Amino acid sequence: MKNLILVFAISAFSFSILSFTGSENIPIAPKSGGENTFVIPTDVQNIIDNSCYGCHNSESSSTKGKMKLNFDKLADLKVSKQVGKLMKISKVVKKGNMPPEKFLKKYPENALSQEETDKLTSWADGLTKELSGE
Amino acid sequence: MKKVIYIIVAILIIIQFIPANLPEISSDNPNDLLTNNPDISEDIAQILRASCYDCHSNETYYPWYSYFAPISFLVSRDTKVGREELNFSDWESYKKTEKAGALDGISDLIAEGEMPMKIYTIIHRDDALSESEIEIMVNWADEFAESLFE
Repeated sequence: MKNLILVFAISAFSFSILSFTGSENIPIAPKSGGENTFVIPTDVQNIIDNSCYGCHNSESSSTKGKMKLNFDKLADLKVSKQVGKLMKISKVVKKGNMPPEKFLKKYPENALSQEETDKLTSWADGLTKELSGE
Repeated sequence: MKKVIYIIVAILIIIQFIPANLPEISSDNPNDLLTNNPDISEDIAQILRASCYDCHSNETYYPWYSYFAPISFLVSRDTKVGREELNFSDWESYKKTEKAGALDGISDLIAEGEMPMKIYTIIHRDDALSESEIEIMVNWADEFAESLFE
């Protein structure tokens, strides 16, 4: 619990600093300050921004994409849902089902490298463990 | 024309000899979702059994036509993949995180109309989910997941 508060405080603090700087590099996901806010490390955040966030955000034109996973709302979800989403992220990325082929045809430079895949999935797996206490 | 029909019939006869390897049926499943969770309401249990269990449990019901190629090939593949993705007969052996992942998937795929699969409901018309059944299932999956983390 203490950890969560600390994490929340740190993320709120860093977010407010970033907002002040008015920089373009404001962490995009998850920006809503839900109860279970967690810090996404910058390197993972960059991967998400490059290869996932385009469809998985509140303004996305992909109804299905944002319904199944919306990084803007990830922090607001119940912990059970967060774990569900993280499990899915890890699974589909490991399987190579995401990002989808259609997206990669248009934006081949946004494909995940092996290193990025590993970083993203170990983040998701680690956070799954942390949130579920397993 | 006659020749074409002969060829098709011959092919249909020949493919009957290719084993379809339909996944085995077992009614003895100590880790089954429904037997271990009597709190699940009868409505939901019925929907699960009718619309999900054929592919997502060991209690598959194979109608007579599912033994004939090429239908048997499709049924075999879908049942195999279905059980690999989620097998309600093994539910109690899943970790909490796996259950949460499965329930989130159930919620999303049913809400999006991706499950049950079209190819299944075309044949099993009565097992397609109505709007109200979809709502019931989505709410159930979300609440069940939440209860695991309380």
